[in-house]
Amino acid sequence: MLEFLQICIGGLVVGSIYAAIALGFSLVYRVTGAINLSQGGFAIVAAMIGYTLGVAWGWPLWLAIPSAVAATVGIGVAIGAFTFVPALERLSNANVLMLTAGLLTMIEGVALVVWGSQPYAMPPFSGEAPLEFGPIRVPTQAFWVLGSTAVCITALWWLVAKTKLGKGLRACAENPAAASLMGINVPRMTLLSFALATLIAAIAGVIVAPTTSLQFDTGRLFTISGFVAAAIGGIASFPGAIIGGLFLGLVTQLATAYISSLFSTAIALLILLAVLIWRPHGLVQAVVGKRQDTRDEVKAVAHAAKLPASLAWPLAALALVTAAHIPVVVTDNGILSGLVIAGILFMTLMGLDVLMGYAGQVSLGQAGFMAIGGYTSGYLSINYELAPLLAIVAGIGVSLACALVLSVVTLRLRGLYLALATLAFGLLIDSCAVGFLDITGGPSGLVGIPSFSVAGFEFATPRAMFYVVFALDAIIFVALTGAMRSGFGRALKAIRSDQMAAAALGINTVRYKLAAFMISVTLASLSGSMYAFFFNFLSPEMVGTGRSLELVAMLIVGGESTLLGGLFGALLLTLLPTVFQPLAIYKTFASGALLVASFLYLPQGLYGAVVQWAIRLVGSPREAKESTSETSARAL
Amino acid sequence: MTALNAQSEASIGENSVLSVRHLTKSFGGLKAIDDVTFDVAPHQVTAMIGPNGAGKTTVFNLVTNILSKDAGQVLFLGRDLAGMSPVKIADMGLIRTFQSARVFPGMTAIENVMVGGHRLASHSGASEMLWLKASRNEERRVLGRAEQMLELVGLAPFKHTHATELPMGAQKLLEVIRALMAQPKLLCLDEPAAGLNDTETQELANLLRAIRTLGIPVLIVEHNMSLVMNVADHVVVMDSGAIIAAGAPSEIQKNSRVIEAYLGGENHAAS
Repeated sequence: MLEFLQICIGGLVVGSIYAAIALGFSLVYRVTGAINLSQGGFAIVAAMIGYTLGVAWGWPLWLAIPSAVAATVGIGVAIGAFTFVPALERLSNANVLMLTAGLLTMIEGVALVVWGSQPYAMPPFSGEAPLEFGPIRVPTQAFWVLGSTAVCITALWWLVAKTKLGKGLRACAENPAAASLMGINVPRMTLLSFALATLIAAIAGVIVAPTTSLQFDTGRLFTISGFVAAAIGGIASFPGAIIGGLFLGLVTQLATAYISSLFSTAIALLILLAVLIWRPHGLVQAVVGKRQDTRDEVKAVAHAAKLPASLAWPLAALALVTAAHIPVVVTDNGILSGLVIAGILFMTLMGLDVLMGYAGQVSLGQAGFMAIGGYTSGYLSINYELAPLLAIVAGIGVSLACALVLSVVTLRLRGLYLALATLAFGLLIDSCAVGFLDITGGPSGLVGIPSFSVAGFEFATPRAMFYVVFALDAIIFVALTGAMRSGFGRALKAIRSDQMAAAALGINTVRYKLAAFMISVTLASLSGSMYAFFFNFLSPEMVGTGRSLELVAMLIVGGESTLLGGLFGALLLTLLPTVFQPLAIYKTFASGALLVASFLYLPQGLYGAVVQWAIRLVGSPREAKESTSETSARAL
Repeated sequence: MTALNAQSEASIGENSVLSVRHLTKSFGGLKAIDDVTFDVAPHQVTAMIGPNGAGKTTVFNLVTNILSKDAGQVLFLGRDLAGMSPVKIADMGLIRTFQSARVFPGMTAIENVMVGGHRLASHSGASEMLWLKASRNEERRVLGRAEQMLELVGLAPFKHTHATELPMGAQKLLEVIRALMAQPKLLCLDEPAAGLNDTETQELANLLRAIRTLGIPVLIVEHNMSLVMNVADHVVVMDSGAIIAAGAPSEIQKNSRVIEAYLGGENHAAS
């Protein structure tokens, strides 16, 4: 009983941090209708600055901590003003969510460059000695955590409910168009909500810092826990966020204590998936009804770049010839390996493009299927000496089975909740990859996976693998192009832009979304298997949530709904760090920053830019297009 | 009222395309649709008119199961539509358009029209992936038909224009021909002339007459009286969720109840 009480106190302490972050989610969501995933990043930046000021530079804590919070809020306001606020005007809410995922990656990247990858420890504010209440010992930092969370909650409630500023925030939440007609500066309110969320996150970050070890990517955990807590509690409601946070803290602490620390996240995620099935809007229903999302309708869908047929064929031939000669010309194994990796990731990216670019279904957990495919085929080929081809097929089978189960959840969801469910799925696979030691080798990875081979012929070198991957990519690309340029692709695009109108024309939206999902899962699983065969090794972080976010970045940077765009993104983000080794430390930052920049300034991606350049080089696109369609019309 | 219903019930042909029987729907305590019964005859343009809030669009949504009805029956080509999904209903050939033009953003005009051909496509995604001759021929056929459709309404020069960049009138026409691409057995148009100027309305009238010539039955909800009187063979008048009159356009124009409902008792003939 005593132990139980002790664990519950621990749970409440952790939970109140989750609650604080969840509150930030809820605040931004209510004001803007979008999710801001960058908060965890700010939490860790605040903690790191606090460490630098308070420990490395020896400032007194009473000065270091507030300075760290203030500095972080300053950074947050700058980032918010230049990315989040303009993005809200240009992008759909699902894309804003991915943009903030990019912000999170970018902030992590900065932290990595500034503070390195080693862990830091912050001393507690009021000494190490815990307070004792009879037999129960409570660390003093717990009081700091509980106290500051309570202050945050009260202050936020007061601001929103009792002040004129709060009235403006609430007006934006209910109807931004009307609010702006009433003279409320909506972008400023948006920025204010972003800044407040950053403030809450920064406070949570510095307060929790002494109870945990700090690393550049710890922020991701804060974001995820806060997001999960907000979703469980009900993202549109402040009390929901608080209840969700405390609940999540208690459940994870109890699960860690009584079941296994390896599965405590898994249990939290299963609870989340259950909530998404039975109460998609969370345990606490918001008093304010689900707001009419006027913003999403106004924003135009970015038009995908399209290469005129007169250019496409010569360029395709040129690319084919060039690619075939690469292994002859390029002798550097490092670069060749980079190309192979990019080619393998391109398989997943083509599938992801069908799912996200064409069908408009957000997926933040695509690497989860790479993991299922990779681990299944790796395990089978190590333990049962199954031929790689069969192992790949088995991996795809297992992946499709998991996808079917997941689709029970995802087919009912859209936008934000879909993003959340796929993220949760990816994280669930992460924790299984770490937890199922016997199958996956746990955190240290699965070693001894054989190289890819067909009928006894082994493709062990990067050069040999280059041809295998190249051939696979070409086949998949040609097949998917065939489907995406005709009825199948049109049906997906129609569903993406207007589900009801698509259904009214007899397009079975459920079947098509499922088909797009299954295609993407098959390709991700195949690519995961090839990845494992190429490295002869697979570890959780190679196919973890970080990878999922990186895949999204690659797709957006390269250009959505083009199929080929993913290759540009994959090459850029894989080859740059390989070619310029000293830049490798900037990779995380670059992948986040490029994602954000592409969303804001290059909506058609690199591919779009290349296409436009090619068109300008050759001549007017309209003429080229007209002439091709006229010939095809004449062919009738 | 009952006499009217009995009368229309008596006149149901065995071969009516759509029979709506005693359709009823309440929102909260308010009866939005009260015992609505009418038929759409083959080869005819049936127009449903009535003041704002009479429940015309609600009837559309009840017929296509976008809303669920409280009572009543809807028969399409003799089959009861109860419990069918909107997709299934569309798949049977009952194709509808929406009040606000719902062209697909991010797609060009021609692509928009081609989506309409989806219902009839025999090809599968798999055969497209293999670039089979059958699906490429099919694609060419759909493209050819879509081009003809654009030609029909004079939008051929804009086929590669993004649909959302077209003027409102063109978007409305695009939505109608997109529905027509699906070769509907019944075409339901929800206020196609809303937001159109006179020239565009004239083009729409021409299109509707062309559709009637093709023998496709049309059910149209419309505010524009001159359009209705021009193209409709049969007019159903709704007011406050109930049918107050039905008949040929010339009869409706003289019907005192209609004039009263429409013009608030003022003695104007609908022109």
